[in-house]
Amino acid sequence: MDSFTLSALAIIFLVALGTYSLRVSGILLSSRLSKNKKIELFLDYLPSTLLLALVFPSIIKEGVAGVIASLLIVLIMYRTNNVLLSMCVSILFIALFRNYMT
Amino acid sequence: MDKNFRNGFIANLPIGISVFAYGAVLGVLCIQKDIEFYQLALMNIFIFAGSSQFVIVDMWNTTLDIIGVTIAALLVNLRYFLVTASLNTLFVGTSKTQKFKYMHFVTDECWAITMQRLKQESITPMFLLGGGVCIFSVWFAGTSLGYFLGDFIQSPEKYGLDFAFIAIFLALAISMYKGKENIIPWLITIVSAFAFEQLIDEKIYIVLAAILGAFSAVVFSKDERYG
Repeated sequence: MDSFTLSALAIIFLVALGTYSLRVSGILLSSRLSKNKKIELFLDYLPSTLLLALVFPSIIKEGVAGVIASLLIVLIMYRTNNVLLSMCVSILFIALFRNYMT
Repeated sequence: MDKNFRNGFIANLPIGISVFAYGAVLGVLCIQKDIEFYQLALMNIFIFAGSSQFVIVDMWNTTLDIIGVTIAALLVNLRYFLVTASLNTLFVGTSKTQKFKYMHFVTDECWAITMQRLKQESITPMFLLGGGVCIFSVWFAGTSLGYFLGDFIQSPEKYGLDFAFIAIFLALAISMYKGKENIIPWLITIVSAFAFEQLIDEKIYIVLAAILGAFSAVVFSKDERYG
C-alpha cells in the first residue's frame, strides 16, 4: 500500500473516530447532568437554537428570495403546522425564482 | 417490523430526496478527485456525516494533510455533540449499550424530525434509528449512483434542492415554538449566528450561536422567577 492510500485511510479513520466520539459523548454527558433543572432547560432549547443557527446565515446569503421563502414557511407553519407543505412550497418558490427571476 | 422504526423511516423519506441528490453530487466530486469507491464507501459507513464528507473530498489533493483535513472535518461535526446531548429525553431509561449503538446513525435530518415528533407524541429510540437508517440508505445510494453514473443530476440548486434542508430545518424549528418566552433566546441565536458566521471562518458559528441562545434562555428564565 502506498503512502497516499495510507494517508487517505488515516484521515477516514480519524474523522470517523472523532465524529463517533462527538456523537456518543454528547448524550453520555447530558444523561449525567440532566438532573439539574437549569441544564434541563438548556438542553430543551438546544434543538431549536441549533436548527436556527444552522439555517439563518444561509437564508441571508440567499438574499430576497431566501427571506420571502422563509416568510412563506412561517406563514404556512402558523396556518397549517404542516412541515412537508412548507418545505414543498418554499422549494418551488426558490426554484421558480432562480430559473425565472435572475 | 417495529412500528416506531417504520414511522421514523417514512418520516425521513421527503428530506431523503435532497439527501439523495446531494449524495450524487458528492459521488461525482469523488470521481473528479480520483477517490476510490471503497474509500467513499468507508466514509459513508464509518463517518456518515454529509457536510464533513464534502469538506474531506474538497481538501483531497495529491498530497494529503492528515491533521489539517481531520481538524477541518471535525470542526464541521462539532455540533453533533450538542445534537446528541439534546436527545437525552428520548433515551431516558435506556442502557448505555443502546446509546452506543444508536448514536452513529444520528444526522441533522433524522434528529430534527425525531425531536419534533417527540414534542407531539410518545416515541421510542427506534423512531430515531428508523430515520437514521433511511438517511443512511439514500445517502449511500445517492453517492454510489453519482460515482458510477456521473452527474445525472446536473445541478440540484436549479431545482431548489439545496433549499430543502433550510426549509425543513426552519419549519421544524418553528414547530417547536411554545410561547413568548422563546422569542428572546431565538433572536439572540439568530443574530449571533449571523455575527459569528461573519467573524469566524470555520463552521464553529453553529455551535457557538446555539449554545449562546440556549444559555440566554436559562438566564432569562431565572430572571422571570425572581422578577
